[in-house]
Amino acid sequence: MLQVEQLKKSFDGFQAISDANLSVPKGEVVAVIGPNGAGKSTLFNLITGHLQADSGHIHFQSKEITNMAPYKICHRGMARSFQLINIFSSLTVFENVQASIIARHRLDQNFFRSAIRLFIEETLEVLDSFGLFEFKDRSCSALSYGDQKVLEIAIALGSKPELLLLDEPTAGMSSEETRKIVKLIKHLSREKGLTILLTEHDMELVFDVAQKIMVLHQGKTIAQGLPQDIRNDKSVQNAYLGETV
Amino acid sequence: MSTNNLKLIENPKGKFSNYLGLGLAITGILILLMAPTILTQYYVYLLATVFTTALLATSLNLVLGYGGLLHLHHGVFFGVGAYTVAIVTTKTSWPFAVAVMLAPLVAALIALVIGWFCVRLRGLYFGMLTLALGQLVWAIVYRWNALTNGDNGIHAIPVPEFLSSINSVYYTTLLILVISLVILYMITKSPFGLTLLATRDNPVRSESVGINVKRHRLTAFVIAGFFAGISGVLFVLVERSVAPSLLFWNESAEVLIMCLMGGLTVFMGPMLGAGILVLISMIVGLYTEYWLLVLGLLLLFLVLFLPQGILGYLMEIYNKSQTRRGEN
Amino acid sequence: MDFATLASQFFIGLSRGMIFFIVSAGLTLIFGVLRITNFAHGALYMIGAFIAYSVSTLFGQGPYGFWLALLVAPLVVMFVSLVIERGLLRFIYNRDHLIQMLLTYSLVLIAGDLVKIIWGTEYKSMDIPNVLRGSFNLWGASLPWYNAFLLIVGPVVALGLWLFLSKTHLGKICRATATDREMVDVLGINSTRVFATVFALGGWLAGLGGALIAPTTTISMGMDASIIIYAFLIVVIGGLGNIWGALISSIIMGVGEAFGILFIPGVAIIIPYIIAGVLLILRPSGLLKSAW
Repeated sequence: MLQVEQLKKSFDGFQAISDANLSVPKGEVVAVIGPNGAGKSTLFNLITGHLQADSGHIHFQSKEITNMAPYKICHRGMARSFQLINIFSSLTVFENVQASIIARHRLDQNFFRSAIRLFIEETLEVLDSFGLFEFKDRSCSALSYGDQKVLEIAIALGSKPELLLLDEPTAGMSSEETRKIVKLIKHLSREKGLTILLTEHDMELVFDVAQKIMVLHQGKTIAQGLPQDIRNDKSVQNAYLGETV
Repeated sequence: MSTNNLKLIENPKGKFSNYLGLGLAITGILILLMAPTILTQYYVYLLATVFTTALLATSLNLVLGYGGLLHLHHGVFFGVGAYTVAIVTTKTSWPFAVAVMLAPLVAALIALVIGWFCVRLRGLYFGMLTLALGQLVWAIVYRWNALTNGDNGIHAIPVPEFLSSINSVYYTTLLILVISLVILYMITKSPFGLTLLATRDNPVRSESVGINVKRHRLTAFVIAGFFAGISGVLFVLVERSVAPSLLFWNESAEVLIMCLMGGLTVFMGPMLGAGILVLISMIVGLYTEYWLLVLGLLLLFLVLFLPQGILGYLMEIYNKSQTRRGEN
Repeated sequence: MDFATLASQFFIGLSRGMIFFIVSAGLTLIFGVLRITNFAHGALYMIGAFIAYSVSTLFGQGPYGFWLALLVAPLVVMFVSLVIERGLLRFIYNRDHLIQMLLTYSLVLIAGDLVKIIWGTEYKSMDIPNVLRGSFNLWGASLPWYNAFLLIVGPVVALGLWLFLSKTHLGKICRATATDREMVDVLGINSTRVFATVFALGGWLAGLGGALIAPTTTISMGMDASIIIYAFLIVVIGGLGNIWGALISSIIMGVGEAFGILFIPGVAIIIPYIIAGVLLILRPSGLLKSAW
């Protein structure tokens, strides 16, 4: 579904990504891991169009999307959540997800309807599946950090994507909250058939959900394959310098 | 758990405050309709001026408050609208109706051109470019003597017979104001409006959910320009003359102050700010010629102690009391 | 159109550019270090001009008056700036642009009327001192001595600023604050002192600009309005916080305006806005590196 080939990106002389390669098969959960500063977020930003690549190609569903505008990439069926909470701060929880759904239906430029009545059922369904139903009319700044992170992901799902990118979805979460997210990821993958690409530092989580792993080190893909192969890969072990895998 | 709770969306409290708002609006309009019968001509003229300014301020707030863009030179579109009416009526033989319909369209067109360049930029740079391009339009109007009469302005603009009395002007401006406000309000409550708020809160996230943020902002900019053009028409009806100073930056600054004073986050805010500002300027004018000093001190106070504006402050208090009640 | 006319117009434009630079340098410094949009900068410039007028008039508009005015006016404006910074500005350092702009704009309104109250509404004028009066001949062009004077003062100020920012301890701290404020705080440096210094310095420069332009123009209200927009455009075009950028764009604006007056006198006033518009569209982040 997603193919990244020989991607390169540098900032002011610093080579953030020197040779990234990734292949995400449809319907699978793929994880990108690597030590801090390996370039995982940069890679995500390149895939979703928030950054322009210096060279290389990105193909999504067999079409080239390298350097396409983020909103166009979203229209093609890709959605992402962010590492740092990136929500619509003055809107209610309900409106946060609703905005995403409205955009998906291309009604964002519509003047003639009342926004309150649009897609109520669909929005409530999404909120419910994330356990956010009770907060729907609250201002999202009133939510706890964990709930805000869940909202993060819920907004992405409003776009009904074929490919969902999760950028460190459990960063800063308690183990209870992390378990909820793991359950959610499994549910989305198995019941909804969503293709998921995620980056994580939590190795336990990665080996629990991922069917394929790509290892990024200093901007370069050093390994890509099945979890147990990655586990035994010498170059990966070297890169982590003794981090328990 | 889910769909039978749909009824919860129809919040009874919310419904009440909607009816309250509607009731107040209707009462307000009725009072204003009766105004010319009890007030002197001067106050009728003053109110007509308030209506004109209220529309201008509300149109700016679409971009400033709802769009979150630092739009520093909105007055330009107001001036362009006013000048369009002036030029068409004095330099061509086209009917007055054409002038009136052309004005907002020309204003929107200028807004399209200026906005197209500006939406590429963010934050302070956006503001600077609106300033630069707006001043460019001012300079053109100021110097293009053949078209605009340059520094002299255009005076004694002819209006149709039925608009010759101040009362008829009053009712016309009130009517156009109400219609425009209703349209603008509907726009803010539409999916477009919600999306605009989203682009204000988080343009990056908006892009990620499929919103073309640049195009959205440009659309808001053009709509605001359109209604500013309408307020320019109203201005001509009231004043019957135009001058290049209408397009200079300090006029736009005053509109910004009105929005801040009333509250950027509330629909009625800019309107309230406009009313207060016009009223204060009239009262102050009776006692002293140093109106700018008073305005400056007022603005200083606002910025330091009431940046959310009067209505913004009231909303805060209301919301706080609601959450307290909700917790009990 | 002969070379002499072109040359003299270029000369005049360049010297106008020097005044633009002196004013804009203060503004860009304030931008870079305090991160504040100071609309009151034009008002400070205007106050500088009025004070220069008063000081000079006190001494019968003679030569001593001029040089004293040049000394006193910037100092007075600097003092006023200090009061503004300590008394008002420091409360809004972390607010958004609109609030900052409107606060400084409120000062513009207040200053405008205060000037009216103190000096009245009639236009004032100030004489150029004898030693700088008249013009000299260069390549067939007649160039006023006063403009030559400005062409010396400008680079001197630029040099002084550069020395201050790169060689003095306080100057280096200012630069550090512009690039990384948190780091400066962590290092225990008193940012309060830095902010006050920078704003005062900016005010001094604005006052100097006003004092320098006073003999060449009618001193009146509205001076602040015309200079502030130019100054803002120059600062943004040159790159926020970048002194050299301000110098380059000041020269472009000054010379552009001068040639505009020469070639298209009727519509010359649109030239600066066109230049600004074009440059902003082509390079929105400024010609040179911005401190932001």
